[in-house]
This record gives sequence, C-alpha cells and structure tokens, in this order.
Amino acid sequence: MTSSGTSAASPVLVGSGLMKSFGLTRALAGVEVSLSAGESLAVMGPSGSGKSTLLHCLAGIERPDEGQVLLAGERIDQMGEPERSELRRTRFGFVFQSGQLLPELPADENVALPLMLGGMPRRQAVRKAREWFAPLGLEGKEDRRPGRLSGGQAQRVAIARALVCGPQVIFADEPTGALDQTTGMEVISLLVGITRSQGAALVVVTHDENVARWCDRTVRVRDGRPSEDHRTPDGAAVTHAVAYAAEAAGLAGRSTPARPAGDEGHAGYRR
Amino acid sequence: MRALDRTTWTLTWRLARAGGRSGLLATGLAVAAAAISTALLLLCVAANLGFQQRADRIDWRNPLKSASPVAVEAVGTTFSGGTPVTVVDVARLPGRKAPAPPGMPRFPEPGQMWVSPALADLLHRLPADRHPVPGKPAGTLGRAALAHPGELVAVVGHKPDAAAVTAPRVDDPRRPGDTVTPTRVADFTGRPVTNGIGDQYLSLAKIATILVVVPLLVLGASSARLSVSRRDQRLAALRLIGATPGRIAGMTAAEAALTGAAGAALGTVGYGLLLPAAAKVPVAGGSWYAADLWVGLPVLLAVLAGVVGMVVVSALLGLRQVVVGPLGVARRSKPPRMSFLRVLVFVAVIGGYAWITDQNKSEVNGILVLFAVVFLALSAIGPWVVGVLGRIICASAQKPATLLAGRRLLDDPKSAWRTVSGLTLAGFVAGFFALFSVSGTSPWGHPDTLAVAVPKGGTAVVRQEAQQRLQDAGITATVGTSTDWVAMGVGKDTVQVTATVPGGAENLDRARTALVSLVPGQYPITGTDANWSGKLFAEDFSTATLVVLGVTFITAIASAGITAASSVLSHRRTYGLLRLTGTPLRTLDAARLEETLVPVAVLAGGAVLTGVFTAAPLTLDGGSSSFDAGGVALLAASFGLGLVGLLAASALSRPLLRSVTAQPGPHPE
Repeated sequence: MTSSGTSAASPVLVGSGLMKSFGLTRALAGVEVSLSAGESLAVMGPSGSGKSTLLHCLAGIERPDEGQVLLAGERIDQMGEPERSELRRTRFGFVFQSGQLLPELPADENVALPLMLGGMPRRQAVRKAREWFAPLGLEGKEDRRPGRLSGGQAQRVAIARALVCGPQVIFADEPTGALDQTTGMEVISLLVGITRSQGAALVVVTHDENVARWCDRTVRVRDGRPSEDHRTPDGAAVTHAVAYAAEAAGLAGRSTPARPAGDEGHAGYRR
Repeated sequence: MRALDRTTWTLTWRLARAGGRSGLLATGLAVAAAAISTALLLLCVAANLGFQQRADRIDWRNPLKSASPVAVEAVGTTFSGGTPVTVVDVARLPGRKAPAPPGMPRFPEPGQMWVSPALADLLHRLPADRHPVPGKPAGTLGRAALAHPGELVAVVGHKPDAAAVTAPRVDDPRRPGDTVTPTRVADFTGRPVTNGIGDQYLSLAKIATILVVVPLLVLGASSARLSVSRRDQRLAALRLIGATPGRIAGMTAAEAALTGAAGAALGTVGYGLLLPAAAKVPVAGGSWYAADLWVGLPVLLAVLAGVVGMVVVSALLGLRQVVVGPLGVARRSKPPRMSFLRVLVFVAVIGGYAWITDQNKSEVNGILVLFAVVFLALSAIGPWVVGVLGRIICASAQKPATLLAGRRLLDDPKSAWRTVSGLTLAGFVAGFFALFSVSGTSPWGHPDTLAVAVPKGGTAVVRQEAQQRLQDAGITATVGTSTDWVAMGVGKDTVQVTATVPGGAENLDRARTALVSLVPGQYPITGTDANWSGKLFAEDFSTATLVVLGVTFITAIASAGITAASSVLSHRRTYGLLRLTGTPLRTLDAARLEETLVPVAVLAGGAVLTGVFTAAPLTLDGGSSSFDAGGVALLAASFGLGLVGLLAASALSRPLLRSVTAQPGPHPE
C-alpha cells in the first residue's frame, strides 16, 4: 500500500493564513503550508521563530487565532478538544525529541497502546505492534522497557508507535535532537522512508540541515512567516531515504517495508 | 557542614520564591499538612498528659496509712441523677495538727461541708429532699481537689469518734477508689488508684494516640514528597551542572525544614486556638481545666522538633532517586521485585502478636508496643502485595487504563503503596474497633432498686428503719432483701436490703437522700450505679472510636489526595505527551484511579482482617471482643467513607492533571 486514500493531486494537509499570538508575541503571521500524501516537509528556523507553534497548529494541538487547517478537505481548527484529541490519536502520529515512551511499559506495549486506546483487544494490539519491530530493526527488543533501550532504539519505538494506527500525517518535533549524528541520521532516514512507504505525509521540525535534506521540501520560518520554501532536487531525498531505510531494516531488494498485514481490519483506528 | 551553608539557604530561598503558583500550592499543602499534624499531635499528647494530671490530682482521695497519723480519712460515693458524688469524710485526731486537704484553705471543722463548685450549683438547684449529701456548704473546693471542673465532690469534717470515720467500709472491685475505709493518715498526699477508671482512660488515650500518629506520619511524609516531586527536574538540572548530592540534600532538607517549621508554628497556633474548645469536650465525666491540656514548653518543643524532623526525613527519602544520578528519575530499567522477606516479617509479627497476647492478656503498654509493630508489619507487606497485584493486573489487563495501572503498580510498588498506605492503616483501625467494643450495660441488680449490704443478723432492723424513713419522706417503695451483688458488704454473710422505687430518677434520688447513713459508711446504690464507670467508659469509648476513625480516615484521604497530586506532578511529562498524542484525559484518569482503587480494595480488606485479629485477644476491663451490629455498621460506614473520600481525592487532583497536560508543547518545563 503506497497511498493514503487521498489522491496524490489533492493535498492531505493544508494550513492557510495561519496567525497565532501569545500575548504580545506573534508566533505565526500568516503561514501557508500544503502537504500531499507521501510527501515530507522539514520546518526549519531559529529558536522562537514559530516552527513548533506551526506544528502544533497543524496537528490540532493548538488552535490558530486566524486561518484554517484542513485535513483531507475537512476543517480541523474548528473542532472541539475531544474531536481533535481523537483525530490526533487516529489520523496523526507523533515523534518527539525524547521522553514520549511510558517508562513502566515494555516497548511492545508502548507501541500497542494507541491500538488499545482505539478499542483493539490487548493480545491483537500487541501482536500488531510487534510486526513493526523487524522493519525498524528492533527485533528482540519487544520486552525491553524504555530505560533499557538506547536513544536511537527508543526513537525507533516511538516511530513504530506513531505509525501503528496507520495515520495520514506524522508530526516529528526535533526527532533527532537528543541523538548523536550517526544515530540521528539512521532515525531520520527510517522515519522518512517508512512514512513514505506507508503513504503518510511527514512534518519534521528541526534545527539540523542534515535532517532537512532527507525531506522532499524545506520551509524556513522566521518571525512567524515562511521565508523560503525549498524543494530538495530531483526526488533525491526519496531515493536516499527509501534505500537507507530498506538497508537499515535489512530489507534490501524490497522498495518499501511491508506494511503490517490486516491494518484495514479495525475500524476504530483508521478512518 | 557544607551541605547547609549560606549558598544552600540562599538557593533554597530563591527556588522556593520562584516556584510560581504551583510551587506555592505545593508549599502551601506541605505547610498545611505539617500544621494539621502538629495540632493533632499536640492535642493527642495533651489528652495523655491531661488524663495523667487529672489522675494525679485525685491521689489524695486514696489515702496512705501512716504510723504517725494526724487525721482520719474515709471515702464514699453516692449518686445524683446517675452521676457519682464523691464524699470524703475527714476528722482531725485529738491533739494533732492536721494539714488542710487539697483545694481547701484549712482543715474543716466537725459538721462543716466543703463542696466542689459543680456540687454547690447542684445543691442550689435541687430541693433539699433530693440533696445527695445533707447539710449546707461552708465553702467551695479549689481546683487542687478535683479531677475536672464538673466533678461532684464534698469534703465533710467530723469528730474523730463519728461513725463516718470509724465504721469500716468495703472496697468495691468494680469501681476502684469509690469507697475507702477510714484510714489514719499523716497528710493528704495519697497514692494513685490502681486499675481505676483513670487507668482505663490513659490506655484509651495511648491507643488513640498511636492510631492517630501513624496516619499523621503518612500525611506529613506525603506532603514532603509532594514538594520534592514538584522540583525533581530542577534539582536534577542542578545536579547536572555540578551540584553535589550533599548540596541537593542540603537544599531539600533546608526547604523541608522551612516548610516544616512554618507548619509546626501554625499548628501550635492552631492548638492554642483549639485548646479552649477542646477543654469543653466532656471526657471521663466532665470537661477539662484548660491548664491540664497545656502540654508545657519542653513537650511542645519536642513535638515541634519531631514534626520538623519527620518532614525533613521524608523529603530526603523522596529525594533519594534524584540524588542518585544527574539524569533524574526516569531511567528505570527493570521493575524492582519486592522481597518475599516482607511476607515472612508480616507472618512472624502476626504470629508473635498472637503468642504474646495469649501469654499476657491485659498488659496495656506491652500490647501498645505490639500494636505499633503490627502497624509496621502492615507497611512491610503492603508493597509486596501491591507488586503481586500489579503482576496479576498486567497479566489480565485488556483496557489501556488497566494495563497502565498494572504496569505502574509493578513498576514502583513502594510509591503505589504510599498512596494507599494511609487508607490501609485506617482500615486496620476500623477493623480493630469493629471487633473491640465496650459494653456499658450493668449485669447487676435493677436500675430502680437501691441496695445496702447488711450482716445477716441485722436485716430486720435495717428493713424496718428503711421502711420508716421512706414513709416519713412520703416515698412509695417496696423494701425487701436480695442476694444480687449490688452493694458491697463485709464478709460473705451479708444480705442486700433493697428498696425498689418506681417513678423515675427523681424519686430514686429522694429515696437515696432519705436513706443516707442507714448503714454507717454505706451509700445505697443501684446496679447501674455499681457500673457507672463502665457505662461512662463505654460511652466515651464509642466517642473516641468515632473521633479516632474520623481523624485517621480524614488524614488518610488527605494523604491519598496529596500523593495523587504529587504522582501527577512527577509523571507530568509523560501525561502531557500522552495527552498530546490524543490519549483521552479520562483514560489517564481511569488509570490513575485503578492504580489506587485496586490496591486499596485488597489491602484495606486485609488490613481490616488484621485489625480484627489484633483486637480479638485484647480484653481490657469491661471490654469485649465480639462482632455486633454496631461493629458491622462501623465497618460499613468506614468503607463507604473511605471509598467516597478516595474518589473525592482523585477528583480533586483531576484539575491538576488537566492543567499539566494542557501544556501545548512537548517541553512542559
């Protein structure tokens, strides 16, 4: 499966005219963003430029003061918190810098949690969660608790958790921020590759040019405005990412990691 | 000591001031918990010391025989409306100079009667034919003669050959100290009455204190941990920039000491303000002299030091994890296994308790120590049970909230135990009191029948005299004899001469007045009178039970609430991120609740059984150990109260959960 059900032509996520202020500080001053299925977008900018606020508005974590956010043509900025909460759980996935895994739960249960929250029985949820471990190079780490995983492994578990519900968009906020350069590159390559292979769109907030290079496009934000929208030439990122991901996961010869089977089977976590 | 140098205090003060609103809330809770603990502790200590002072002041009514006497002293007890009236008969021996009895300026002359203020008031209110003691008061007894302000006491002067100070009297083992045969004394120092009602109240006060102190310790500890969990990340950050563990410990100790001291000071003020109200509470037959409830400066300082010390120690214990490494608390790798040794300790203590109480039935102080040990044993087995529950829940969980709850129990059984320990111990107290109750029903005689004990040969004369007197007073009564054990007589060959007086308490008191000195040295009493101290103790015991249960449950619920809040604070980052990724608040909330409710249900059940087991072998005087409707109602009410309180405590921390998870960014700090 390579497409998310939205045609490649129509954008899956659109933010238009986004304005957001905190007191007297203007965080977003009319931002336009559009993202197609399978596309990856890096959001860069100095600290305080508004890039995290942009991510929060696009992900329905915060409401913009003005402008609108459309997910597959549907406005999400006007939804109430319960609906947005459900949306975040079922149609979005999140990867943060660190600390997002529950320290009490073993890795597989951390990944299974969103499925269980959608109503899937535990045994089935854990089984489906475990299917993600091999493609992400996490074989044998299923029973480990986050305290016994390395930083890179923990981020890969977080990626599995973000993807397990089959989301349309993945949001990653400084996903490599707590990792060394090599591990960081491994993680971002896996994230970009596997997201693309699932037909999901990806928004990555980052400081790191090397991370941004993996994405199809880069938006630079300064003082709440996009100052530059730059496309990585010739789909280089795509090839790069997929090849890297496949290699890292030991899947050489397959263009995309296998999507875990039976993901259409559960209505609760996929609209 | 470098850990507590000026830098430490300055940093502590700055951090405390810069804590913002949530910091203020945590500090406020810690101060409030310390204040409540201090005030309640002081009141508990005050009750103990107060009973002791009351008992000390009436030692003079239990005279000590002297080889070189100056006076004779005899004690008897009559009743008015069911309340005991102590009559002390005294006579100066010819040619001797006797000191004034306590509370009096001089030795009473023959025929003079000095009465306590309450008795003076009673005599003023009652018509003469219902006066429990004949004659007009010549003066008022001072505080030094009385246990409490409401006590009814008369001191009557006699000639040394009067029947009141020569006729022998028989001590009644059912009410020690009520009757004392004429005794030749050198002064009015006396000695403590053994096994008297005062002793029972002292035991009760000690048991109540232990039962109240432990939940208070839990409360103080949980509030101290709250401030630590609020600041663990900041302290970990300080560690990261090179603060030594000593410095961190010093800062924590300094802050805890400041909040503890502030709370203790507030608590002392609270105690001072509560003192007048507490003095009005009638216990053991009357309200208090406020001075009896003043603990004195040394004890006050000791309690304050104890509270501050406890707060500091709890904070330092809560800090252990932060100090271990600069990376903070979240690097847990493996759930700790609770040692099976904990179970063995518990079983050994319970077995030891059963054995020791079996050997030595009513040695109160020994049992108190055991009691405290059983409490500690519960604390030993608690985390183990929590760990086992965690494993069981994890194995069977289907819902995410249940799985989360189970994993969290398994992950940190000790901290989960801390949340529920207060309620578990309260369950123990409830179980104890449900079984251990005191009956106030008199097994002797009839409440309308007055009796005096008369030697077998003299019954006819006494019956006739009694009939005559009652008739003269215009009282309808049936005079007869009985073998029931109501009045105490000399030797075995005594018969009870009885007067059954219908028409209620007033008629009964009139008959008493008419029959005063019918038999020298005896006051006619009913079976209910013979059991007055048992009845009083039973009533006060029920009140004390309710008070102790109320205090333990309220403190337990308060600690559960505070621990719930500090648990939210220590997990705020995880909660925040979970919420961000779309986990519904109610799932987080349900996990929190399950994490508390399941162990409470199991542990409190076990604790109730332990309490019942602990109460079973105890047989204090007048006490019984059997389930009755009252005990069952008490248990049911405790369970209801505990459950509602726990739900309320959890509900109260929900806004906190909402606010910490409402942080929009993934970087809540």
